[in-house]
Parts: sequence; C-alpha cells; structure tokens
Amino acid sequence: MKNCTRSLLSIHKWTRLTTFFLLFVLLVTLPSLGAGVDARQSLQEVTIDLTLHDRSLKEAFNLIKKKTGFKFVYNEELVAPYRVNIAVSRKPVDEVLDELLGPTRLDYREQRGTVVIVEKETKTTGQIQKTEILLASLVRPADREISGVVTDNDNGEALPGVAVLVKGTSTGTITDMNGKYIIKVSDSGAPVLVFSYVGYVAQEVAVGGQSAISIKLASSTKQLNELMVVGYGTQSKEEFTGSAARVSGDKLKDMPVQSFDQGLAGRATGVSIGQPNGVLNNPPVIRIRGINSISLSSFPLIVVDGIPINTGDVSANSTVANNPLGDINPADIESIDVLKDAASTSIYGSRAAAGVLLITTKSGKTGKAKVTYEGWTGMTKATRLPTMLNAQQFMDIKNEGVMNAKILGGNANNDAVASALFFPIIQEDGSIVNTNWYDKVYQTGVSQNHSISVSGGSESTKYYFSTNYSNQKGILKTNQFTRKAARFNIDHKLNSWLSFSGNINYNTSLNASPNTGSLSGNAFGLVGSARLAWLSAPNVYAVNPDGSYNLSASNTLGMGNNKVASNFYNPVPLLDLNKYTSENDRIIANFGTTVKIFKGLQYKMSYAMDRLKVENVSFNSPVHGPGNSSNGSATNSSRLISNWNWTNTLNYQTTIATNHNISLLAGYDVQKFGTSSWGATRTQLSDPFFDEFQGSYGQISPAANVLTESALVSVFSRFTYDFSKKYFFTLNYRRDGNSALGSGKKYGNFGGVSAGWSISEEEFYKHSKLADIMNSVKLRASWGRVGNSGVSAYGSLALYESNLYAAVPTWNFSQGGNPDLGWETSNQTNVGADVSFLNDRITLEATYYANSVNGLILNVPQSPSKGIPGDAIFMNIGAMYNHGIELGVNANIIRKGKLSWNASLNFTHNKNKVTELYGQGTELVGTTSTAAEATNITRVGYSVGSLYGAKTDGVNPENGQRVFINKAGERVQYSHVVPAGGSRWTYLDGSPAPAIAVDDYYLLGNALPTYYGGFINNVKYGQWDLGVNFTYSGGNLVMNGTKGTWRDQRFWNNTTEVLDRWTTPGQVTNIPRVVYGDLLSNGSSWPISENAEKGDFLRLQSVSLGYRVPGPVLSRLGLSSVRLYAQVFNAFILTKYTGTDPEISVNGNSNTTPGVEKNSIPQGRTFTFGLNLGF
Amino acid sequence: MKKIFENTPMKPVNTLVFRLACMVLPLTALMTSCDEKELLNPVPNIALQDAYIFDTPARVLGQVNGLYGAMKNGSLYGGRYLMLADIRGEEFINRTQNVFTGYDAWSHTVTSGSNDASSAWGTSYTAINSANLLIDGLPLHPDVVDAATATQYIAEAKFVRAFCYFGLITRYAQPYAKDKGASPGIPLRLKGESTPANNDLARSTVAEVYAQILKDLDEAEAGLPVNYSTALLNTTRAHKNTAIALKTRVYLTMGDYAKTVTEAKKIVSDAAPFVAPSGVKHQLQSNITTVFFTDYTTTESIFSMPMTALNLVSGQNSLAYEYNLNLEYNLNPTGILGDPSWPATDVRKTAFTRVAGGLTYLKKYNQTNPTIDYVPLLRYSEVLLNYAEALAKTGDLTKSVELLKAVRMRSDAAYAFPAADVATADALVKTIWLERRIEFLGEGLRSNDLLRNLLPIPAKGSGGLSAPSISPSQPEYIFPIPNAELSTNKLI
Repeated sequence: MKNCTRSLLSIHKWTRLTTFFLLFVLLVTLPSLGAGVDARQSLQEVTIDLTLHDRSLKEAFNLIKKKTGFKFVYNEELVAPYRVNIAVSRKPVDEVLDELLGPTRLDYREQRGTVVIVEKETKTTGQIQKTEILLASLVRPADREISGVVTDNDNGEALPGVAVLVKGTSTGTITDMNGKYIIKVSDSGAPVLVFSYVGYVAQEVAVGGQSAISIKLASSTKQLNELMVVGYGTQSKEEFTGSAARVSGDKLKDMPVQSFDQGLAGRATGVSIGQPNGVLNNPPVIRIRGINSISLSSFPLIVVDGIPINTGDVSANSTVANNPLGDINPADIESIDVLKDAASTSIYGSRAAAGVLLITTKSGKTGKAKVTYEGWTGMTKATRLPTMLNAQQFMDIKNEGVMNAKILGGNANNDAVASALFFPIIQEDGSIVNTNWYDKVYQTGVSQNHSISVSGGSESTKYYFSTNYSNQKGILKTNQFTRKAARFNIDHKLNSWLSFSGNINYNTSLNASPNTGSLSGNAFGLVGSARLAWLSAPNVYAVNPDGSYNLSASNTLGMGNNKVASNFYNPVPLLDLNKYTSENDRIIANFGTTVKIFKGLQYKMSYAMDRLKVENVSFNSPVHGPGNSSNGSATNSSRLISNWNWTNTLNYQTTIATNHNISLLAGYDVQKFGTSSWGATRTQLSDPFFDEFQGSYGQISPAANVLTESALVSVFSRFTYDFSKKYFFTLNYRRDGNSALGSGKKYGNFGGVSAGWSISEEEFYKHSKLADIMNSVKLRASWGRVGNSGVSAYGSLALYESNLYAAVPTWNFSQGGNPDLGWETSNQTNVGADVSFLNDRITLEATYYANSVNGLILNVPQSPSKGIPGDAIFMNIGAMYNHGIELGVNANIIRKGKLSWNASLNFTHNKNKVTELYGQGTELVGTTSTAAEATNITRVGYSVGSLYGAKTDGVNPENGQRVFINKAGERVQYSHVVPAGGSRWTYLDGSPAPAIAVDDYYLLGNALPTYYGGFINNVKYGQWDLGVNFTYSGGNLVMNGTKGTWRDQRFWNNTTEVLDRWTTPGQVTNIPRVVYGDLLSNGSSWPISENAEKGDFLRLQSVSLGYRVPGPVLSRLGLSSVRLYAQVFNAFILTKYTGTDPEISVNGNSNTTPGVEKNSIPQGRTFTFGLNLGF
Repeated sequence: MKKIFENTPMKPVNTLVFRLACMVLPLTALMTSCDEKELLNPVPNIALQDAYIFDTPARVLGQVNGLYGAMKNGSLYGGRYLMLADIRGEEFINRTQNVFTGYDAWSHTVTSGSNDASSAWGTSYTAINSANLLIDGLPLHPDVVDAATATQYIAEAKFVRAFCYFGLITRYAQPYAKDKGASPGIPLRLKGESTPANNDLARSTVAEVYAQILKDLDEAEAGLPVNYSTALLNTTRAHKNTAIALKTRVYLTMGDYAKTVTEAKKIVSDAAPFVAPSGVKHQLQSNITTVFFTDYTTTESIFSMPMTALNLVSGQNSLAYEYNLNLEYNLNPTGILGDPSWPATDVRKTAFTRVAGGLTYLKKYNQTNPTIDYVPLLRYSEVLLNYAEALAKTGDLTKSVELLKAVRMRSDAAYAFPAADVATADALVKTIWLERRIEFLGEGLRSNDLLRNLLPIPAKGSGGLSAPSISPSQPEYIFPIPNAELSTNKLI
C-alpha cells in the first residue's frame, strides 16, 4: 500500500483542475440563481412563484413568459373563455401549467422553449366532431377556419406537433397525432400561415380563399438550429464554432455495406473514405483532412454513445478482414458527427489528431411504440476485371517469348534449347482446354439484411430495441459476412433531478474469407485468389475430367502439357477445402446517471465497456496448398480486446443578464485497454476426415500469444460563452496521461479555443441590402493542439523476449526502447464562414484549415548493421502539415408542387507536406508486403508516402526493350536474355550499363488525393424519390502494380493488352517485346513509373429509386409507412485509371504506403431491392 | 441513508446536499482506489524489461542460447543463407522463377533492394548485436555467474560473432584473395546497440574484418570448454574444436594455407582413421547417411542448427521445402550431377538424390514434414578437405590425398582416383574442389568455394530460364549492401 499515498497525491494533482472548475462554477452560480431561464431547459426544470386571482388565461401566460422566458403560442379564440386562479411558489412550470389548464379543455406541448397551447386530445371521431362544432360556435363571423394535414415531404408520414401560426399574431396551434390542424384566421389583411417544426424548413402559405391547406414540410437543409453532438455533450449548430460535419443515420441504413463507415463516402466535407477493395468488412481508409501522422495511426477516433471503441482490423487471421465497426448495425445509428478541427476535437486531447467520429445510436421518443422494419436483398458482382488471354492466345504469346529468349540468348540454331514450352491439352471432342479462372474464383454474391426496431416511451421512460440479421456474400467465393445483433437503449427519469440511461449492444459477426491476397502484407502470397485468377494458365484444367484437382507432384497447379513448372497453387481446392474465419462476440454497453444538483448544474457519470472476443479459425487442408507441407494444419486463436471507460462530468449552464450565456464542463475520464490472445497451431492431421482444430493431429505448437495493457487517465474541461447569440466563444482543455509513453513523459496538455460571430444577427447587417441575399452569415475561427496516442502498449520500453533454441529457452533483445518517448502533437488552425442565401434556400460552408504536426512519433529507421530489433526505434522527431480548404454547398434547386430537388456538393482540397524528418537528407522508404517492393518514399518537401520506383521511358522502337532512366538521367535498356558474356542492361548504343537498382529510383509523384468530395442529389416527385450520389477524388497517382502481374512474362497468363507487344523494328508500342522469364520490364517484381497512373475519378456511388405507398392505402393495411426501393451501389466510375479501381489500396490504412495496388480483388457492384416499413 | 428519508418531510431526497452526495460518491470511490499510478505504469507480462535481463544465471544462459537462436533464423543459418550460397553456383536449376525462393540469387539479379540482399545482412547483425550486448553486459554484472562460466559465455559470444562476420564478409565484400583484403568490407560493430545513437559507421576493410574474426576465434578457442555433457550440446553449442574447425575455413578462404594446416592439425590426427585428438572426438561416420538421416549429433557434425517440432524453420526458408518438397530447384544435369567423377555407385548419389519426372532432385534434407533436419554448418569432412587443400597447396600431396580418400572412400569404397587427378598439386586441388562439390552439395559452401578462388560463376539453364556466367570483375559477383543500410548509415 505504500504506493497509495503517492497515488492519492497524483490524483490530487490531477483533480486540482476539476476542483478549480467546481469552485468557479459555484461562484458564478450563486449570484445568478433565479436569473432568466436558459432556453435549453425544460418546463420541469424551471420553477416559478405565481399568484393570480381571476385573471385571464392569456394574462397568466404573459406572466409566466415574463418570469421564465418561455414563449407561448396559442389560438386566442381557444384561450379567451378562461379565467384562472392560482397561488404557487417554487413550483416547476409544467406543474403550474397542469394546474392552470386542468379545468380547461386545453393542453400544452413543449417545443424547445416554446409552449404551444392546444386542445386536449379526444378519443373518438365523434368527440372530435363535437369539439369542432363547439369550436365553430366560438368563431367570430369575420373569421374562418382553415384545416389541413402536415406531412413529411420525404416519407409522406404525418407530422404531429408542427407549430402553425398566423403570421404577425400570437394565434397558433399545433398539429395532432395525425398531423391534422384546425386554425381560425381573420380575413382582415392577407393572412399567412407559418408552419414550423424542428429539423424542417419553415413554410409560409398565403391563405387567400382556401379553407383547406395541406402541406408537406421538407427536412431542413439549413442546420443552424440542429443540435450537434460534441465531446461529452451537445451544442446547437449556431453556437458551435469549431468545424464539424453531420451525417444522419438515415443516409446509411439502406446501404449494402457491412459497416457504417463504408457508407460515409462523399457525405461529409473534409472526410475521405476509400474502400481498399471488394473484400467484405475490410476497414475502409478514412482520412479526415489528410494524413495526420507518419508512424502512428491516421484513423479517426470513433466514439459510440460516449465510449471510444476499438477500431482497426481486429482479425488475428491474416487472410480475413475484420473491421470491428461492422459490429454496429447501421440502422441503429441516429447520427454521425465528424469533428475535424482541434477546437472541437481537443476535448479528446491525445487521441484527436486524426479527427473524431461521434456515433449516436437511436433512442426512444415519447409516444406510443413505433415499430420499423428495414430490409434489403442484393446481388454483388465484381467490376472492371480485365480480359485475360484465352488458352490459344496464351500459348502463342508465351511460346513467342520462349522463341525470343532462344534467339536473344544466341541459341537460334541450337536444337538443345527449346523453341516452345507451352502446349495444349486436346479434349475428346477435339477442342483444347480453355479454363476461365474468373469462373472458378469469382461469384455473384447474394446478400440480405433485416432490421426490426421498436421504440417509444412515456414522459419518464423511453426505450429503443432493435435486432438485426445481415448475411452478405462477396464477389469472391467463400467470402461472407454474417451479423446477428441486438441493441437495447433505455432512458429513465426517476424524478425531476435524477435520471438514468443505459444501453447494451450485443452482436456476433462472422467474417469468412479465402486468402484474397488483398489485405495488408498479402500481395505476394502464393495463395491470393485475385492473383491466382489472373496468372493461372488457361490451357490446363482446374479440375481434371475424372473429378480430381489438377495438381503437380510438388503441391502446385498441374501445368498439363506445358513444359514448365508453376510455383502457384490451384485456387479451386484452396477455395473448396481451406477455411479462414474471424468471429466477433461483442458487448458494448454503458450505464449512465445524471444528477441535477440545482438549476443549471448537472453531474453525469457513465461507465462503459467494449468487450470484444475474436475467435480466429484457420484450416489448411493437407490435400493442396499451404497445409500440404505440414500434412494439414489448423490454427485457432482467441483474442479478448477489452476496453472500459469511466467518465465523470459536471456541467453548468446559465444566462447572466439575459444576454450572456455561459456553459462550463469539467470532467475526469479513465480508460483502460487490454488485449489477451492465445492460441495454437496443430499440424500432422491424423485423418483427412478432420477439418477442424478440435480434430486429431500429431503436433501442436503455440501461436498468437499476446498480452498487453494500457491506460489513459484524463481531466478535461470546456467553457462556452455567447453574447446574444451573436458572439460565441469556446475553450477546451484536456490533460491526458498515457501509459505507453516514457516514464517522465506520460502527461500531455491539449486544448483549443474557438470563436464565432453571427454578423447577420447585428442590427447594421439586418438593415443592409446584403441581408436580402445572404440572410444568415456567421464567421468562425479556431486554434488548438491535439495529440496522437497510438503508440504500442509498451512503446517506450526496451524489452527482451524468450523463445526456444531447439529445446532450451532463450532470451533475445526484442524491442529497442526510448524512455524519452513523448507525445506527438498537432497544432490546428481553422477559419470559416457559414452563409445562407435566399432565405436558407442555399447554404454555403467554407473553411480553411492548417494542421501542423510536430514532434512526430517516428519509427526512426536504424542502420540494420546495428542489429536493433525491427531496425527502428520510436522517437519524437519530424514535422509535417496539412493545409486545405473545404467547401460545402447545399441548395434546394427545385421546390414546386410535387417536385423537389435538393442537391449538395462538397469539395475538399488538401495539401500534405513533410517538413522535417530525423535529420538532413533522411527519408523513409515504404514497402509493400515485402522489403524488396519499395513502392513509397516519405521525403522532406513532398507529401507522405509519395510513389517511388524505377523511371521508365517507353519501349525502344528499334529492339522492343523497355527503356529506363538511371539516377544520372541516362537512358538504359533491359533485355532479359542476352548471349553468353553479354550484359542485360545496356545504354541505347548497346554498351553495358549498371543494373537499375533502388538507388536509381525516383520519387514518381504524390499518392494522396489533393481534392475529393461528393455530389448528392435527392429528387422527389409525389410518392417517388430518387437519390443520385457521386463521389470524386483526384490529384494523386496510383501505382498500378497489378499491371505488372498482368504483363509478367514468366509462365503467368496475361491480359489481352499484351497482344500489342513489340514485334517488329520501328514499331511504337508501350508493351515491350515478350521474352520468356522477363519479370522486370513490366514492373512485376518492382514498381516502375510506366505503371503509375493518375487516380482521378468520378464515381456514381449510389443511385436509388424509391416509392412510398400513399396514405390511404397504408391506413387500409394498418401501416404508417411503406417505402419500396431499388438501389445500385458503386454503379459506375469514370476514370482514366486502367487498374480495377483507382481507390483500391493493398496497404489498407498505412500512412507511408498509400496509393499502391498489387494483386487485389476489385470492387463489387451491388444491386439491391429494399423495403422500409413503419407500423 | 434511511435516516435522510425519515427525517426529511415532503420531498425527502430533493435536497442539494443529497444531490451533491450522489455526485461525490463515485469520485470518492476513485480516490480510494489509488490505482492511477498502476494504470499508467503497466508491466509487460510476456516480455522482460532490459534492466532485469542479467538478474539470474538462467537468464544469462538464456541469452547465450539466444545467440545461437539468432543464428538459426530462417533467413540465416536456419536455411536461406545456405540455399542462396548454393544456388548462386552451377549445381541447381531454378524451376519456378519465384524471387521468394531465390530466383534473384540464382539468376544474379540481386540488387540493393532485393529481399535476398537484406535477408542475411539484417539477421547476421541481429545475432552480432546479441553477442555484443552479452559481451558488454556480462562484466557489468559480475556476480550473476561464476568467472569460469562468464569466460565461457563470452567465448561463445565471440564464436557466434566471428561466424556471422565470416558469413557477411564472404557474401557482401570482395574475396580476400582478390587484393589481400584491401577492398572495402563491411561495418565492424563490436559494441552492443540498443539506442538511436551510432547509426553511422564506415566500412572496415576486408582485411580488418578477417583480423577481427580471427581474433575472436582465437579468444573463443581459449575460453570455450573442451566439450559439453551431451552429444546434442557438442553439436549445437561451440566448444574448442568448433572454433578451430571454423578457423580452418577462415584461413583457407584467406588463402593462408600454412595457418590452415596449423589449425587443422589441432583436430585431425596424423594418421587414418582421422580423428580429433583432443576435446570432442570428431571423426567421419562410416556411412554419411547416418549424419543426415539417422543421428544429427554424431561426432562428425561439429556444429549444426538443431530443429525440433516446436522450434523449426519451415516454408520457403527451409532447405527440405526448397529442394525436396516444393521442388523449387532440380540438380543441374551439367553440374556436378553430370560429372563423370561422381559415379552412380557413390552413396552420396544413391542416398541424397532422387529422380522425378525426368529431373533429379536433392534429398539430403529428407524430413519434409515437419522439416526437422538439422542444418549442418561445420562437418568434420570439411575440416579434412580444408586440410587436404591446404596441404596440396603447401606441397604435402601424400597426406592430402590420404585425407581426400578418407572422404571419398567413405561413400564410394571402390572408387579409385585417376592418377592424373592427384599427381600434381594443381590437379589435386582441382580434384579436392570436385570432391567438395559432391560432399557438400546443398550445404552452402559452393559460392564461397568459387569466390575464394576467384573463379567465374558458371552459366546455367537455357532460354528464358537461364543465368549468365559472372566473372569476378562483374558487380554481380558479390551481393550488394542492402538499401536499408545505404539509406540509414551515412558513412557506409
């Protein structure tokens, strides 16, 4: 216990700040108790004293308004008959209203600080009619009654609670549960009705001669009134002075994706989402405002309902992708708020450098239970697969190569050297074997997804329950994703000051995949399905006519009559017999309580846990493939990734002297992470009958043993202030302690400051001509410092690990430590404006940002001759920046009768530049899958991970040899085969030249998109809706390494492009003369500039066409809404890129090796048909 | 708590005090848990912090075993080092054109960026650094093991360091014979490295590196034990004769025949049957297949990398996988396989080769599943042939032929060397070289045998699957220093 004192001391130090804030809160609070109400408070949170004797109800409302600030909206006719008596003290407003309205026929609804007085709901149609008659009798002769129904323009559902106001009066009502309203208007003047509802665009309708006005409200495009989820709380969009984007969950729920992050492409300004390839549940590459680290992760922090959750790829099975975000049913998501600048992210301090995604799941709403069903079924097919040579073309090209090699080797007349090595297999019917390997490897994946949710609640208890089943099949055989999930969210208000909330999400997600060759590190495997489908010889069988697999004696694909050996496997038995899965059992749960200590001061505690158990299973059959050499092998491992988070916050809000709105937040947060993994590999299968780990084997050895823990302990605070909703100011601070850092360097301070100015709220602006065009203008600026804490658990320690030398134990140096390892920080500056034009019909958001990352935690390369494990040590060194602009325009282009068209365009321009590395002239070489494939370089003055490779200069028309440019700028050419004593590398005059090696490589260009964005269109016509969403990106180069595979001149098959190879002197072509065995000329064994192509593209990401069944039909069916839709996902892409997809990336989320494609499967195109039901 | 309810009228819990209490309680719970320091200073459970690595004798012994473990890396003496050394020569034909199974080395297209340029470099230096850390660290912890044990451990570390430097200098630098070691060699790192310091270190000359190797081996010989308690330890850890055996290889490579003879004499008796007179009683086994198929720890195996089912080299680094299971290489019919001086009666041909589909493959490494054949690094037959070659060069042809015959007749008792092949020193040396090609086929000596004698590397294969001849003047004659070193070590 001797550590206890010290620990207490350190806690004391830690909590000193919290204490300071508490004191501050109390000081500010005490004098202001009883001051004006904060608009955000609810009726039951505000108490008043009220004494009235025989006064009109209207007077009572006016008095309450004066005392509390709550506005009242009512139809004067309704209110006029009543006189009231009341005497209460320190009673909540809601109770006061209950008392006042109790004896009347009136009731009230609360809507963001406004109290709307309505008639009490009556149960039967008869009663309603009676009420109407009664009401009619109250109408003055000059008045007339207008009635109608208000519905949602998007889904046709009735909107209850819409405020209907006669413009210029305080006469109003709200719509009932069926969206119906009745209001009386005076014909004096030209009455105009204003319909308003939170989250929808207010509409004004001139009454004219109409007596029935039914309208449709469109959801709001102007989001200034919307609540934003920010770290540890919410803010209204108008108060928010940082930079963030919000994506509603509705936009994602129908997407045929495995995880919500895949559906975000093009949806939010500044956010770039790239799908690495068509492997199911492969984590997308997410970049918020560019790459923000070099050696640590650039993946944003993902916070679900307050808890930062596990991300990345949690599979311990190198062939299977397992994105843990796939454990969250997209249909459960209410909203995703993307925090981008330091002012908004710095409340997450050390983890915020790459941005923060705040996911809010759905919760219940007061009212009767609402049941929804969302379902879709779909089909996915691979896109843009190149055309490969058929059997005859294959033999012709390869034999031409063999002959060329013979000639070039000076053996033209040497009978001992073969002239042809490739020969057909003639079948019984006389035709030759012509195998289409695509048919053996790819499939049309059929998928289905079903979600049911039930939500509802009373004033005190709200609940949301949902369940989901998703079964998705990929474009590659045996690639499958299955999720079964259930979520339960509950909020309960125990009394006026104490409430609880809890939610629990349980799911099991099964990821099954063959080795696709498409995940990080797998590009050169002998087992990668994509590559096998491309290179396997088309003139041999996949399965022999007798039903056996076509295999050679040395565990490779049988080469039939070809006189060459293959070192690759036959993909058919690999797909048939081997299996690889990674299955999650996961509980994400949290429990929270809120205590309202006194008016404005609120304490919140929440404990959350994310407990993820991943079971990885891999079985390699003894029959063929990687399991052959060990007579079958099975590796199982179980990995528990646990993560708990305990948060305490105090929040105080007040308004001083009516215009000064202040809010203060202070908090303490502890998060602990642990990973425990263990497993074993069993080999020497006893009997081919077994294909599970639990069967009988001859050998067993340990595998996948990992045990780490780490923790973050933090205090944080936020202060926000606004004056009259004109001037806004926010200050954030966080201090994090990170267990992974060096002993004296564990603590880091982070924070941000931001300010905003609503010019349009200024009187001078309101009277200027500009106000007619730009009705709302807000300027905002922020600066902050955030960090990156993604250092491995024991990153600062020098470690030894124990192993075996045959049968005796060993100790070996395993990690070079750096006790001085400290924080990596970024300083981020952000300046922007939000402008609305033409009464919010067009809104524009523009932001400039500058992020500079300092003290980069760089895994600094050490000379291999030092013998440091991994040849690298983490150090705080180096710097880089991302500068950019973001533009977002949203416009209601057409809104005419039944037709509406809303479009939003977002654009981001980002420039990344490394300004300092670990010393003069230093650089970091990034490799793809193997040390030999040096594809990227990080060099001062250029963007991170620029493409790197041998520079080429076409094909020499004289001899068909590939021309390269060496480091001296000289042109040299390569002939794979030369006569005895000749040199393969020659200058163009034929004299010998040194071979081109890595030190001849050039920086070929920027691999990071410099601009990207989306163009989203929603068109509605009556019951029909059409969504057309584009994404685009460009300004970068992509290394199409797969092209090297497609043109490799070993025994591999080629694409039909090779038919354009050089054959005759003088011929100008980009395909060199084919020479058997040549693996260099086309960039198969190294990156060459010939294969670096522009990555610019425009993708039609999704097109959907929906139809909503109209109301009358619904009521007959007893349903509240039905929408049927058809959708195409990844419909088409416009690009000059010749690979399968310009967004494809074989290195996943790696910072230093972006933009490289090598042997990955392409993307799929998905057609879905879906149904949304509301009961 | 109950009291509050009882004593407070009306709304008992609706008091400021109670609400504050609700807030403070959880915070108090934290205050008393006093685990923050623990949270921020987690101790790794399955790795040891460097401060504790010299705490017990067992951990020091663990580090010594770790040196051999580092040598046993699949990229190094666990398999690939030997494989690349063999396939560079003329005995094997590549079948699969796969750069991961040595195609670059076979076809002489290794560049500074190739995997095979870096595979032996990095792993050798890792083993060297482990040795240096032990050599530096042991004197700083004098009481952990007794002085004699400490001396032995340091001698073992020096042996490992010498072995690895020899592997590097013969692969990445010009042969000593070219200019008596005046050519640039490799960085000579003799201090343990564990921090970001000392990244830059210039290359020492070839001669300097050889001098250090010999110094280490002399010191190792002095400090190493005469033998160990078991045959397994005698084969898998260095003892006096191991250091001496390696010296015969080093001196022969340097062309220092007199010294080769001196060292060889220490472990080869004057007359047949040749046997080591002191220390471990090294001698040839009557049947060579015993050494490869039956018993990996006979006295013929001076030093080998042991394998067990729990600790083996498998896949593309494994010799059995390359030559015998996946058949990445077949024996070149125009290499030693087709040489008339290797008759079909030789046990080394009947037992160590097999024919499949018209091609001949090496099956010296016969345990393909699992691949638990020990990898031989020093065999007594090599000492005998090193000795024989040095004697032939220095004029003792009779003794030389005797040694040569001991090796040949063991596997082909009826064989008689044609008189012309052993008549002159030159002819005898050439005959010994031929014998080495037969005896050590697939044991990683071929490349060095060509290079130490400045012989061109012969062409092999035909058409698109061919490798050209490489003369000693061509850059491809040796391996390039890997790019990772070039880009980080500015003095290289």
